[in-house]
Formats: sequence, C-alpha cells, structure tokens
Amino acid sequence: MRRDQDCNGIDHMIARRDFLVGTTAGAIGTTAGAIGMGTLTSPLNAATLEKQQKRVLQIYLQGGVSQLESWDPKPGTQFGGPFQAIPTSVPGMHISELLPHTAQRMHLLSIVRSINTKISDHRQGMLYMEKGRRAGEFPYLGSVASKYLASAESNLPGYIHITKRGLTDSTAAFLGASHAELALEGTDPPENLAVPDSIDQSADEAREQLRIQFNRRFTQQRSRALTDVYNSSYDQAAKLMKRKEMFERNVAEKDLDRYGRHDFGRHCLLARTLLENDATCVKVTHHGYDTHAENFNFHLEQLGEFDQPFSMLLDDLHQRGMLESTLVIVYSEMGRTPKINTKYGRDHWGTAWSIALGGCGIQPEAIIGKTNQDGTKVTEREVDAGHLFHTYLSAVGLDSTADHDVFGRSIPIGDPAAEPIKELLS
Amino acid sequence: MNEQAAIDPVETHQVAEFKHENPLTTLRVDPTSRFVAAGAQDLDVQLWSLEDGKHQTLKGHKSWVRSIDFSADGNQLYTACWGGGVKIWDLKQDIPQVVRSIQAHQGSTRWVRVSPDGKRLATCGNDLLVKIWKIENGKLEQQFEGHQRHVYGVDFHPDGEHVVSQDLMGVIFVWNLKTKQKERTIDAAMMTGYDKKFAADMGGARDMQFNVGGSLWASAGITKVVNSFAGIQDPIIVVFDWKTGEVTRQLRADEKFKGIAWGIRFHPQGFTIGAGADKSGKGELWFYSSDKEEAFHTFKMKTAARALDLVGDDRLAVAHADGNVRLYQMAAQTTEAKGESE
Repeated sequence: MRRDQDCNGIDHMIARRDFLVGTTAGAIGTTAGAIGMGTLTSPLNAATLEKQQKRVLQIYLQGGVSQLESWDPKPGTQFGGPFQAIPTSVPGMHISELLPHTAQRMHLLSIVRSINTKISDHRQGMLYMEKGRRAGEFPYLGSVASKYLASAESNLPGYIHITKRGLTDSTAAFLGASHAELALEGTDPPENLAVPDSIDQSADEAREQLRIQFNRRFTQQRSRALTDVYNSSYDQAAKLMKRKEMFERNVAEKDLDRYGRHDFGRHCLLARTLLENDATCVKVTHHGYDTHAENFNFHLEQLGEFDQPFSMLLDDLHQRGMLESTLVIVYSEMGRTPKINTKYGRDHWGTAWSIALGGCGIQPEAIIGKTNQDGTKVTEREVDAGHLFHTYLSAVGLDSTADHDVFGRSIPIGDPAAEPIKELLS
Repeated sequence: MNEQAAIDPVETHQVAEFKHENPLTTLRVDPTSRFVAAGAQDLDVQLWSLEDGKHQTLKGHKSWVRSIDFSADGNQLYTACWGGGVKIWDLKQDIPQVVRSIQAHQGSTRWVRVSPDGKRLATCGNDLLVKIWKIENGKLEQQFEGHQRHVYGVDFHPDGEHVVSQDLMGVIFVWNLKTKQKERTIDAAMMTGYDKKFAADMGGARDMQFNVGGSLWASAGITKVVNSFAGIQDPIIVVFDWKTGEVTRQLRADEKFKGIAWGIRFHPQGFTIGAGADKSGKGELWFYSSDKEEAFHTFKMKTAARALDLVGDDRLAVAHADGNVRLYQMAAQTTEAKGESE
C-alpha cells in the first residue's frame, strides 16, 4: 500500500541543470526535451540567468503594515492618521514620515498603491501573496525562485527564510522538498550544524555513504518521495555545514552601527551575507504590524526599526552592484483599514493597499495605481496578488505564463487569469 | 458648580455633552473652569465655553493635537501636536489667535505643560528629548537628553524647579531646572511590557499629574501586556512618592477591563480618579480612596475615555472616542434633575 505523501519528488524528475541544458541546447530527447519544453516555454535566458545569478530578497512585514503609515500616506484626511507625508528622492513622490531613510532611496524603488486582494485574513492573504493564487497547492515565490533561478552549483539552499517564528510553512508544493524554504530562527545557525567532535572527516564521509546506500535500497520497491524529502534535508544540511562560517563570523561593529543591533538589523545583515554567497531567494520577516490597537505608536516603533536596516541593505546591494540582479520586495499579507477604531487601531484590510519593490527588472521611481482621497478604494490600475506574482517572475527574467511540468502535466506558473504589471517592468 | 449637593463619587452621573464629529484625543479644562479644550483625530482644537456652551474651532495645527494645557488665569491655551508643533493661543480675544508657534520636536510633540509660575512650557517628543521653552519669546531655554525610547509624558513639579518625564519603557527621569542636570532615575518597569508574539514594546505615560502639594505624583498607562496589538493588557495608575521616588500604590481596574488608563486626577478631598478605555470600546471612571489600590467605585461609560480633567471640585470632563466631551457630576442628582432625566 502506498502512503499518501506530501511530496511527489517531481523536482528529481526535472533537475534544474537538465532543464537549463535542455532549453539552451534545444535538445528534444524523450524525457529531457519534454520536461524542458514543458517547464519554461521561453528559451529565456537560461544561460543569461545562470550568468547573472538573479536573486530575490523578500522583506515580509508580517501582520499587515498600514499603507497609510507607509507607502500611501494621506495626512489631513478623515482617516489619514497623525503622521505626515515626506518628500522622497523622487520628485513628487511622498511616503510616510516614519520612513525617512527609505524616502531617500525611493529612486531605487517603486510603489504599487492599488492592490485589492479582497482578503482580510492573515493566513489566506499570506498564501495569496506568496503563491499568486487564491487557492490550491502552488509553490511560494521563493520556491519557484529556488527551482528556476538557483544555480546547480549553489552552496546554499535556494530559499532561505530568516524569521523569529512561523517556522513550519510548507512552501514548495509539487516542486519538491529541495525547493522548500529553509527557515532560520534569527541569526542562529540551524541546530547540529557541526560534525560531532568524536567523528572525523573520513568517518563522516563513510557514514554519509552508508546512508545513501540504505536509501537506495529502501527506494527500490517504493516511491522515492519519502526519501527525497530526507535526501533534500541532508543535502541542505550538507550545504550549510560547508558554509557554517557565515553564522560564526563576527559581525563588524561598523555594520552593526549602520544596521542596528536589534534582531531585524542583524537579520538584514545575515540576508546580505547570504545573498553575497549565492543564495537565490532570501526572505526576512519583520513581525509586529497587526495593529488592531495602538496602530500609530506601534508603527512608529516597528517602522522605526525597519527603516534604517532596510535602507542600509538596499545601499549595500546597490553599491556592490547586486541590485540590478536582485529583486527586492517589501510586502505584507494585507493592508490595514482606513477607519481607525476606538483603540487607535486599524484592522485587517485587503481592499486598497500597497507594496514597494525595486531592483532586478523593476522600473524604478514608478507609482502604480491610486486610491481615493480617504484610501477606502482603488481608483486606478487595480491589481491583485496574481498580477504581482507574474510581475516578480517577469522581473527576474522568467516567463510567468509558462508551465510547470509535473509528471507530464502542465501547471501554469502564474495565475492564467492575471498578468504582469508591464509598466512596472524595466 | 452644583453647590447644593455634597461631592460623592458614588453618585457620579452625566450632566452635559459637547459634540464633535471626530474622535477626541485629549482634553484640558482651564483652571478657572471657563473653558474645556479638546484635540481630535483631525487638525483642529475644539474649544467650548463651560459657562454658555459656546463652541469655537481653532485651526492651525498640521496634525492631531495630542496634549493641551492652560495658563493659570485661563487666558492662554497651549496645544501640542503629532507634527511636533506647539501653539500658544490668546483666549482673551473673541476669536482666539495664535500668539506663537514653536516647532518643538522632530516628530511628535507628545506632551505640553505650563510651569507653576506660568513662564515656561515643558515639552517632550519622539526625538527622545525633553525641552523647556520660554513662553514670552518662544525660545528654547533648556534641553534634556537621556531617554533611549520615545518620551510619552512630562510635567512640572509644583516647586517649579523640577520636571519629571517618562518614556515607553517606564524609565522616569527627574530633571533639575536649576542645575540643568538629571537628578534622579525612577523605575516604572511595571508600566511597560514586551509583546512576545508581535516582538514589540508597549508602555508609556498616558497621563501624569502631581497632587497639590507635590508630595505625590501619578502616572496612568498599562501593565501586564498579554496581546497589546489587540488591546489586551491591564490599565494601571501608579502613584509615586516624590521624596523617595518609591511606588506607593498601583491602582487597578476590574480584571475584566482590558485596555489603557488614559487619565488621572488627584481630587482635593483626597481621593484619586482614573479614566480608561476598554478594548471593547467602552470606558470607565475609577475612584480610589487614598490608601487602597482597588476602586471604591467604578462608573461605566458607553464609549472609551481618552482624557480626564476636573471642572472645579465637583465635575469631571472626559474626552471620548465617539467625539464627545461629556461632563459628569460627582454628586447626587437633585430631585428636579432626576425628574427631567426620567
């Protein structure tokens, strides 16, 4: 009897290396050709992608940052709240006074102010923003990036999530465990990264060979799915063990001065290190935006903590020449209600809210869409998470209208009902 | 003032209401009980005459007014807003005019208080500073640095030589205006909490007041943070001994009340009054005797209280989240009034 397994091992049928070779060489072999053609129909850029090593940096403001206290301020209006709008480095573009450092770097970013996901629920909103689909088992953006952007020679897992909680998301869907997010609890290395002192290198290698041998025998009469999961875990662990110095190195004082000594500052520094070391998708979660009470004091504190380290990270990516190959997304699972409740709070709101993004493939200095005077509805260029998902993938050079190939079954990468926000692409 | 009935907090009841269209943020009654002024979730100051109910709207701030004070004679009004501005208004004119505008702080000016001699203003703000201003010319006289987190409240001691400030983390500094130095640090850590789930601090003084002689001061705020992002924590009013800096009492509400204490006043007859907002949107007034930590009377209000002040000795003015200032009489209703209300 076969077990109902949550992973079908499809990633092992469509190894990225095979896909890239197949597409670039135009090979149409029995298996590889079909997989290659079905996976990404555009010959796009396989060589280019590999050469440029496109990356994704997701900054997830968990809980739902208020668009009115960030990217779409409306001071002096009925629901505008107490904070002012400040000019940015882009003439005519204003954002909240709570983001003074980011404001000086808006020439590197763009804003989408017209998101209507129609979802006011944390979990469903997050899934929609990550998958670009309202429902169904689809991979997160980070897993898609891992699948199609990660170099086969990468020394790091393709999708790494730095967070303090929420460590158990299943992100890869049919892409398989090797593209699932590796969640790091803050800047701490994963547990048991080091080889025990009692085992030397040769013993460790012998142990690994034995494990592989057992696995091979075990899978002969069974689905590979279960062992694929285990193998992926071992592969990820092995990669990390080789790069454990990233977690051990002392952070320079001058970097801590710039980024801050709090968790989020250190998380952004780790994200920089990971991206510099060939990580493909790094997600950093900053908690504390679900402000049903004390919205203004909490946004003052939380965005005050976000603003500088994010700006420093943006600067460093820019100065290292990495920004043009790194898509940067600052997003939430939803926005917050224009109406202010009796607790000085703003509640969940999926109807008219904003994100910021920039870097690889994104036209900088743009403002996409508009909300009405009170921020209660989108009045121009309404988009949803489906459009955003297409846009992200297009920005990193992937054809979001192509299909995943799952056991020969084609599954559209992006929601066929949506399309990229073309005017946002460079 | 109702001179026919003795002050009795247990008999507290509503006697008047002044309506505004937006939720109120703060209020203050002038010491001569002629005016009540309120800030709201808009850019204006609402001013009502307590004598005839005449209403005026004072325009000029660029953000919500967060704190208000009056001169002792009631002829000047001081207002501070989230935009950092402080305005001094002349109330002797039929239409109050701005005498002076000060950009007091970078970011919000959270609090403004006038000195006992009426010559200075103390302000605090989100730039972590406490500042002393000369009212006469609007010039900065002293500036105190030391708070590491946002400063929520500041007040003059009645001796006029000291200022007390309290920040988000419950750190209280006593500043000596003569030596221009920090004189004492007092710990009010019970008035702050770290929300582990959301990884953020909550706390701060939401109101402060000294008693008449200056032997005590009290600070209103929160304690026992459970989920402050949903408004789930306890209100608290902490009473400090001025001489020792020790906490003498921690005044609580009923344990079912979850929210914030937004107001505290020492009554001349020795009892203490608190006002708060529950997460449900309702409000309460709490009355404490001078030696107890539990309220001897709680008066329930239909909407959240966001500020409290005394009108003379027998009435309370409360700023409500529904946009109304309501006056409450701390005395039994007269037979005549009862008849009218029935």
